Amino acid sequence: MSFVSVQKLQKSYAGSPVFENIDCNIERGEFVTLLGPSGCGKSTLLRCIAGLTPVDSGHILLDGQDIVPLSPQKRGIGMVFQSYALFPNMTVEQNVAFGLRMQKVKADESQARVREALEMVELGSFAGRYPHQLSGGQCQRVALARSLVTRPRLLLLDEPLSALDARIRKHLREQIRAIQRELGLTTIFVTHDQEEALTMSDRIVLMNQGRIVQSGDAETLYTAPVDLFAAGFIGNYNLLDADSASRLLQRPVSARLAIRPESISLGLDGELDGQIRSHSLLGNVIRYRVEARGVEVVVDVLNRSSADLYADGQRVSLSIDPTALREVA
Amino acid sequence: MRAESHKGGWYHRAVVYLLFLILLLPLVGTLLYSLATSWSASLLPSGLTLKWYVQLWSEPRFLAAFGQSLIVCVGALVLSVVLILPLLFVVHYHFPKLDALMNILILLPFAVPPVVSSVGLLQLYGSGPMAMVGTPWILIGCYFTIALPFMYRAITNNLQAINLRDLMDAAQLLGASTWQAALLVVLPNLRKGLMVALLLSFSFLFGEFVFANLLVGTRYETLQVYLNNMRNSSGHFNSALVISYFAFVLVLTWVANRLNKDKS
Repeated sequence: MSFVSVQKLQKSYAGSPVFENIDCNIERGEFVTLLGPSGCGKSTLLRCIAGLTPVDSGHILLDGQDIVPLSPQKRGIGMVFQSYALFPNMTVEQNVAFGLRMQKVKADESQARVREALEMVELGSFAGRYPHQLSGGQCQRVALARSLVTRPRLLLLDEPLSALDARIRKHLREQIRAIQRELGLTTIFVTHDQEEALTMSDRIVLMNQGRIVQSGDAETLYTAPVDLFAAGFIGNYNLLDADSASRLLQRPVSARLAIRPESISLGLDGELDGQIRSHSLLGNVIRYRVEARGVEVVVDVLNRSSADLYADGQRVSLSIDPTALREVA
Repeated sequence: MRAESHKGGWYHRAVVYLLFLILLLPLVGTLLYSLATSWSASLLPSGLTLKWYVQLWSEPRFLAAFGQSLIVCVGALVLSVVLILPLLFVVHYHFPKLDALMNILILLPFAVPPVVSSVGLLQLYGSGPMAMVGTPWILIGCYFTIALPFMYRAITNNLQAINLRDLMDAAQLLGASTWQAALLVVLPNLRKGLMVALLLSFSFLFGEFVFANLLVGTRYETLQVYLNNMRNSSGHFNSALVISYFAFVLVLTWVANRLNKDKS
């Protein structure tokens, strides 16, 4: 029996379904990411698990107990919001202590646990500050400490990094993951950012239009997308229709073909001739647009030295790793 | 460049000071008049005295009017806090769509001129089961409707600034009941908006004359009605009255500002 088990969950707003028949299992200690474009129902699913949004039908089992009839207060679930949702009238310490105050935990125990939680997010010296005196990243760490201090059975993270700038986002990502591992805390993370999903998760649940498209570890999702949506959403797949694919590979292909940009390599002599159309530097990777046999494909090449750089218009040859080709429905 | 901006700065300051002077002049004149023994044929008062203030503050009718004004205003404001705060909370947390309707409703007290609505109120509450013309109750009720737009707008702005839904959700997930979340988390964050709204409404209501005069008149004399009834008495006495009124509102504003500042 999984630690969290979502069974046949249904939710609709004003007659139109947000999701129907969602089934999803999460093991104890697992870090699962709900990934999908905005409006796919991932945040609503998270709010349903938290009890903030009522469900129409279905069950959510947490450690064997159906929590659907329980109020959010009684579910033992911690949550971190995109907007931080810190209480502006309280200091950092009071914010973190709020949950313990509601549980009527004794003052000295509460104090010790608050200190411990703040140390964990490296904000021990910020206890007396107010939220408006903190940066966005610090606010979100306080929010994390606040949700951890009550020792929830399940931690929900609703796009917690989306309001932060890139550098802080990266750091906080690692910090969240490290704390989650240390506590062995079962966590559901919601994001629309594939990089966040790929780097943080034990398992990714890819959602689109209210249904689960694919579920698996990062490697599987990245290398073996099950359909066109999955291929389009994760990575920067070249998606070729059957005609173009047949022309490029010079053999009959009956379905759409997905080719990862880094599975194509460029050289100067080979069978498949092409011409560089344009290039852009992404840092450690150079992304070329190459035309070959009338088909334009994107090719990612590791940026080793500027001597390797192909100029726009230059003739090159392509070789495609046959094992990296994926037919998608 | 620098000299120019400096010159510009001087000019701007001069305009501000001039405006300030123009606004202050009548007040200074009134203050001087209230302190003068007599001031008729000369450029400056012939002597200074506090006797008008002593006379005013020992006049029972003035003290009664002052107290009655306070009772009516505070009563109306208490009523509006008790009614509007929960209303706002319900509208914004449970029925956000009702906000549009509320925005129309709160404009009504402004849309109807006071003289017109007092005639209506006199008809409605003049006799019958709800006869309360001439009592403070009708003024409290009527002032409540005047305070409504101030209160509603100021607190709505405040509510929109604090992300009510996420705060409520966060508090509830941490184990707070809806009541605890509202009292411990939402209410303290509305203090600023509430103070502004109360202060604004209070100074407006404290100076209100039309409704007070038409609906109640001398049967429950408020400060403004008293001032109107005293218009034929000594100008020095009336000046002392106006200055006392002004000083009271000024001190109140200052205190409210101080209270608002100390924590945030």
